[in-house]
Amino acid sequence: MADDIKLTEYSRMAGCAAKLGPGHLEEILSRLPEETAPELLSSISSGEDAGIYLLRDDLVLVQTVDFFPPIVDDPYTFGQIAAANALSDIYAMNAKPLTAMNLVAFPCAIDKCHLEAILLGGYDKVHEAGAVIVGGHTIEDDEPKYGLAVLGTAKVGELTTLRGAAPGDALILTKAIGTGIITTALKGGMLTVSADPVIESMRELNAGAASMITSWGVHSMTDVTGFGLARHLYDMLRASGVAADLWAKDVPLFPETLAMVSMGMAARSSMHECIAEEKVEVDTGGVDELLVQCMFDPQTSGGLLAAVPPEKADGLIEALRSGPAPKAAIVGAIRESDVPKVTIRHSKKGSHGS
Amino acid sequence: MEVDIDCTGLLCPEPVLRTKKHLESAPGPFTVQVDNETARDNVSRFARTSGCEVSVLESDGKYQLTVTPPGDTRQADLPEVEEAWCPPVEKKTVLFISTDEVGKGERELGQTLMKMFLYTATESEIPPSTLIFINSGVRLVTENEETAAHVKKLEEAGAEVMVCGTCLDYYGLKEVLKAGRVSNMYDIQSAMIGADLLVSI
Repeated sequence: MADDIKLTEYSRMAGCAAKLGPGHLEEILSRLPEETAPELLSSISSGEDAGIYLLRDDLVLVQTVDFFPPIVDDPYTFGQIAAANALSDIYAMNAKPLTAMNLVAFPCAIDKCHLEAILLGGYDKVHEAGAVIVGGHTIEDDEPKYGLAVLGTAKVGELTTLRGAAPGDALILTKAIGTGIITTALKGGMLTVSADPVIESMRELNAGAASMITSWGVHSMTDVTGFGLARHLYDMLRASGVAADLWAKDVPLFPETLAMVSMGMAARSSMHECIAEEKVEVDTGGVDELLVQCMFDPQTSGGLLAAVPPEKADGLIEALRSGPAPKAAIVGAIRESDVPKVTIRHSKKGSHGS
Repeated sequence: MEVDIDCTGLLCPEPVLRTKKHLESAPGPFTVQVDNETARDNVSRFARTSGCEVSVLESDGKYQLTVTPPGDTRQADLPEVEEAWCPPVEKKTVLFISTDEVGKGERELGQTLMKMFLYTATESEIPPSTLIFINSGVRLVTENEETAAHVKKLEEAGAEVMVCGTCLDYYGLKEVLKAGRVSNMYDIQSAMIGADLLVSI
């Protein structure tokens, strides 16, 4: 590296917190004409992680794109995280990534060696995933941004989507929560512990966890990104026609996450919007307000959220913890309901009715 | 009102960093203006974690937070004010109750003290003219039957009891309201501003 650079000084917002809120987006998308091609198996309004296009009777194309401003200072690490994050949507659908294209915005004022480092980080992750980078596009912009468009394929019967979560299913989360809070604290110079566990987690591919979960059997799966755990869970519930309890105390958090919320380091989230729209409710028995905030923390390259048959949950968690996802935990359960809704409860202990 | 720190248009964590800087350099209460809920929540949490008292006024999508640092001189003057104060009967006394326990310490003790506090109010020669229940204070007029009964008694004796509707919705307690009427921030604020004596718990 030529000289030290603090990339985050150039970003207005950290990582996936820069995502436009789901409410605003839904409103705009609802006014656009709907795609009706018979080969298109997903729709934008479903909140699905990636687009699904039927290529042959037995094969679908899975296509996704994601990019954001620097979330960490080191360019190579930022490249790795952006690539792991972009690839995550492919893994959430149990697809195999094949090709990727770089999307880059970069200021004239920053030495180009740093752009090279970002791209190298991306290359290394894409190669680790067994895919290839086939091209890209770069524009000039005051705020640097990097991400990738990724194309993958899946066998028709093996695709995992937001649909299929069934009453009684255990909800499994494979990575700790708190990347939005910790990176905000990092940017604000308030973090008193190392951000390394968060950085390690963000650049970890969801490949191993996805293949282990799907080999055990899974009903529905998504990845937790910019809208936060509770809101991504809501998308699963809406698509599956069920409700769920989310056990806030059982959700794994990065070290110091709660302390940083209490110091005012929460990233912009969908919390108030989700509660006002009754997509998410907080148990009247009382849940720590700081914990509730964490349930909406926007994640960059977050873990997988899977609804699995309850009898398999304990065995799967043990396998995940000793393998690809040391922080994996059971964080809730699916309930039968006509109204899709997430109920945030303090913990499994305080939960009832499921 | 003049705003000490205007954070309009600033994104997190900037409003908190500016609040922190101000708190470290200047003693005494100050106001912070923010224009989004995240910044409002963040500045409130930061200030409370730092031991400050925080009150929030909302208007036109902006939030004005008044931050009173711990051990502020105005609080130190309180005993003197109390000695000098002799309430005439027609004085409008407003109790602003934003918690379901009194003081900081063991929760069980705090809840018992709150029960005693409300009971004492019913026996007082100069009962409060208005009671405002907000945030976890709404538990006192909903799920907590003992305190709700005391408040009901005050209400029957002529006190106005205002309960924050947003808070009831948030905690899902609207269906079990046992005393008072559901109110909004506009009316609550009017009652506070119009008070001769505002007691905040």
